[in-house]
Amino acid sequence: MITAERKPMAEIKAMLAPYRKILVVGCGTCVAECASGGEKEVGLLASALRMDAQMEGRTIEVQEMTIDRQCVYEFIDKLTEVADRYDVILSLGCGAGVQAVAEVFPKMFIVPALNTTFIGETKEPGLWVENCRACGDCKLGYFAGICPVTRCAKGLFNGPCGGSKNGVCEVDPDSPCAWQLIVERLDSAGRNDLLEAIYPPADWSRQQGKGPRKIVREDQRSES
Amino acid sequence: MDQKTAGLNITIFFCQQLDIDQDKNRRTLEKELGSQIRFFPLPCSGRIDPLHLLRALESGADMVYLIACPEGACRYREGNLRARKRVGYAQKLIEEIGLEGARIELITGTAATPATIDTIARELLMRDATVGISPVRSKG
Repeated sequence: MITAERKPMAEIKAMLAPYRKILVVGCGTCVAECASGGEKEVGLLASALRMDAQMEGRTIEVQEMTIDRQCVYEFIDKLTEVADRYDVILSLGCGAGVQAVAEVFPKMFIVPALNTTFIGETKEPGLWVENCRACGDCKLGYFAGICPVTRCAKGLFNGPCGGSKNGVCEVDPDSPCAWQLIVERLDSAGRNDLLEAIYPPADWSRQQGKGPRKIVREDQRSES
Repeated sequence: MDQKTAGLNITIFFCQQLDIDQDKNRRTLEKELGSQIRFFPLPCSGRIDPLHLLRALESGADMVYLIACPEGACRYREGNLRARKRVGYAQKLIEEIGLEGARIELITGTAATPATIDTIARELLMRDATVGISPVRSKG
């Protein structure tokens, strides 16, 4: 899941200042799960914007709409019927969603309401933690399903560093030591042999330095 | 009724578990005060969502109360604890747009002195008003 947090109201207001008719669009997938961009959050933001305008004596029109996904054309297309009635789209999607909506409506101005934060997991209600850096070279199979790139503060492939105490990271006392978890899980799975291997540095060229990454699956593509 | 909050629109969300006769009791007060007071019964105060509170303010309420069971007395164990957090979240949201956080208030009674919903509401109406007419209403 992609996580995000709402931008400060002052920043959102400043970006919306030139516009009077605002379409607030939520996304029902990742950002709904992390309670930042779903239908409820759309309602909260729209309500706050309307009240703010009323208090300042401004007249604005705010419409709320939430689509299943802001990163897939078939869902974005649901905005087509209404989008041209508004001056601006305030998107509560992740960065990918905002850009996908912008591409579908090239003449409309799109404003992001969220700061996209990380790929993570819902650990418990109200708690989301990062557990994937999208490095493009997944090695979870060697590390018992625990990513040392993301969850070890030092990003060690050949750990542990020796600095943890009572299973807690010396860099961040709020985080468990990723390598302690890796060793415990490999041990309980009977795969301590994987600890004997020396893992070479990651191939970061898969993640960085080549512009936006793409995945192409010919079997999924249309003929036209 | 000689109330100190005269002229203010009051919205009250409350836990139904507080008063088994809540339906009858709140209607008495609603008839007396008309549209100045609006009650919204909830199966538990933990059902409240910040969106309910903001929508109430947007719809013209000057003051929004959430009446919850005393701590430790929630039928669903922690509904009233969740309610407290959600009220806090909603207060921060309205403060961000310059509206006083005090316009949303959580009220918790004491287990030792249970009261009917109309009695609690009358007590709230008799309190000195900490806020005036909402700027959302007056300037809207």
